Amino acid sequence: MDTLVARYSRPKYQQNEVFSEQEQQDLADAVPSLSLKFIMPPVAHPSAWLRAATDDRSNPSCPIKIAHGTTTLAFRFQHGIIVATDSRATAGNWIASQTVKKVIEINSDLLGTMAGGAADCQYWLAWLGMQCRLHELRHKRRISVAAASKILANLVYQYKGMGLSMGTMCAGVTKEEGPALYYIDSDGTRLAGNLFCVGSGQTFAYGVLDAEYRYDLSTDEALELGSRSILAATHRDAYSGGFINLYHVRESGWEKHGFTDTNPVFWKTKLEKGEFSNVTSDLAE
Amino acid sequence: MSRRYDSRTTIFSPDGRLYQVEYALEAISHAGTAIGILAKDGIVLAAERKVTSKLLEQDTSAEKLYILNDNMICAVAGMTADANILINYARQAAQRYLLTYNEDIPCEQLVRRLCDLKQGYTQHGGLRPFGVSFIYAGWDPQRQFQLYLSNPSGNYGGWKATSSGANHASAQSLLKQDYKEDCTLKEACGMAVKVLSKTMDSTKLSSEKIEFATVGQTKDGKIYHKLWSAEEINQLLKEHDLAKDETAEEK
Amino acid sequence: MAPHSNGTSPHWSLKSGVHQQGCPELQVLLGITGKDFTLIAASKAAMRGATILKAADDKTRQLNKNTLMAFSGEAGDTVQFAEYIQANAQLYSMRNETDLSPSALANFVRGELASSLRSRKPYNVNLLLGGVDPITDKPSLYWLDYLASLAPVPYAAHGYAQYYCLSILDKHHQPDITLERGMELLNLCADELKRRLPIDFKGLVVKAVTKDGTVEMPFDNDRIVKSA
Repeated sequence: MDTLVARYSRPKYQQNEVFSEQEQQDLADAVPSLSLKFIMPPVAHPSAWLRAATDDRSNPSCPIKIAHGTTTLAFRFQHGIIVATDSRATAGNWIASQTVKKVIEINSDLLGTMAGGAADCQYWLAWLGMQCRLHELRHKRRISVAAASKILANLVYQYKGMGLSMGTMCAGVTKEEGPALYYIDSDGTRLAGNLFCVGSGQTFAYGVLDAEYRYDLSTDEALELGSRSILAATHRDAYSGGFINLYHVRESGWEKHGFTDTNPVFWKTKLEKGEFSNVTSDLAE
Repeated sequence: MSRRYDSRTTIFSPDGRLYQVEYALEAISHAGTAIGILAKDGIVLAAERKVTSKLLEQDTSAEKLYILNDNMICAVAGMTADANILINYARQAAQRYLLTYNEDIPCEQLVRRLCDLKQGYTQHGGLRPFGVSFIYAGWDPQRQFQLYLSNPSGNYGGWKATSSGANHASAQSLLKQDYKEDCTLKEACGMAVKVLSKTMDSTKLSSEKIEFATVGQTKDGKIYHKLWSAEEINQLLKEHDLAKDETAEEK
Repeated sequence: MAPHSNGTSPHWSLKSGVHQQGCPELQVLLGITGKDFTLIAASKAAMRGATILKAADDKTRQLNKNTLMAFSGEAGDTVQFAEYIQANAQLYSMRNETDLSPSALANFVRGELASSLRSRKPYNVNLLLGGVDPITDKPSLYWLDYLASLAPVPYAAHGYAQYYCLSILDKHHQPDITLERGMELLNLCADELKRRLPIDFKGLVVKAVTKDGTVEMPFDNDRIVKSA
């Protein structure tokens, strides 16, 4: 009876999301049993304590500096999804690494991106990979992107207010959904969309991407636009840089299109196309 | 009769004159001649130095020609001590302008700042006006090369060729006679020494008796100004056959 | 962020209690130079708190024939400061029968901001100053902020517009572009702002400075922007 009711009373906004009955069942019961297995710090208010220790915006000398700055983007187009990120990890003003893999290969079909707390993203996307694999084993078929993203969204929502910091995108192409792209953040927001940029450099990437984005982009154009948008962000955002990590997701799975140093790409772009005209080599004035 | 109006600079005489200003002009007409000639590619300033002595250190005591700014120099006719005050004032005004606008002060503006100060002393302030006339040579992007003359009253004007000091009337008529529109800086230098040789007491000149300076433009468009060394002046005098016969003097 | 956000100053606690200021970061200022022109654009909304008081505000002042200044920042300070600069520029023109060059004006404004910053009540104003040199006919654009930084730049923005538009201009700007191309770039920027800024800034006033003076450019603020 409940399933009958659920079938017909599904709200409108969910109607174009493809959830099987089984997936809905998983969403309902898998999450609570898999969460809250962590040992809490032995203080009265763990989340307040964590915030005090890690919030470098209100307290620049906080003892724990969480890696934050990033630029990640993903967009849907006729031949699939482009996913691109930078590779810089910063902790406060310190560049902790220039070679971070911010695209997480959840499995051979699904990609997740990493923005916000590096550890949070790595841990929970790996965990999501596990959930997706369990789904496959249990149901003998691939999980939909909608379901995978919802597992993550429900998980982070359970931890809301406790200091998680993540802004992630799940991208995948399935037979049922076609190219599917979801944005999930640690506030609990989950959005399906054509185009997202996440991280401190998001606005710069949006600028370049929005200006030339079309759904009927060719694959080469799409790859170039994704890569150029990350370059734009690494140029203007101090917390983004390093390498451009580029992926193309299709129904047959994702393909990697390089992990390219931004520096030669920048100079090539400047000198061959005459872009970045504000960068000058003459020091006069 | 005039005594009643003499003692104060601020008082007109019944026939509308300011005696103190006129006396200042008179003082200047006893000073060494200074001339300036505007050429199409530069300006030359030349001046006669009155006090010469073998004991005088040549290079540490330029008494007639001064650098005001990167784009401007001047020749002084009159009381050097008064001139020093004004030159210091002009240099400070030029630097203040540079600090505010990050640009050199336009020539006429600097001249006017000095003249405003000079004028102030004909009306109030001190006991007497500054006893100095200046010939200014400068360059600015708007009006290119410019030559100005100012006197103790605070009046100033732009000139193609001008003079001040002793014999300035005859120098002026010589300049009027010889001046050619569109002459080059090199020709102007020649004209300057010729005029000086005629207005000065001795027909044969030497580097001890005159000072020389030019403002010009280098091949790559930069503006330069240069106070000439004794050797350079002697060279120029030789070229125009005006040099004092040195061997004669040795004997 | 502002140096005077210090709540202990009695002067300031009094003032900030009186009225809530509109967020200066949401005011849009854009500038682009090209072959023989400088374009300046400013958003038309005059905001105070959650209210748009006026939808056709002009946040620019002409300083002389060939120099235009656009301003954003704290209400009151902006227009006071801009008109003070305008008056001084015009006084200079009258006294000297010549206009100050855009470069000279930019340095003058920087000096005024620097001394204001060290006064009891600093002006909280960010500026773009664009012009064409009356002698060389070279276009120029200067970026200034309330901390008295001055930078000559080929293109510039203030506020949140910086975050969206600079990457666009990094990609699409070239030093020798025509006025038509300049307007296209402004449209590209305006479209992106309409797409991504969470408030309606009521479109842009666009003015072009060329050697012949300053003209307001027709600008279509009613373009429908497709969102991805």
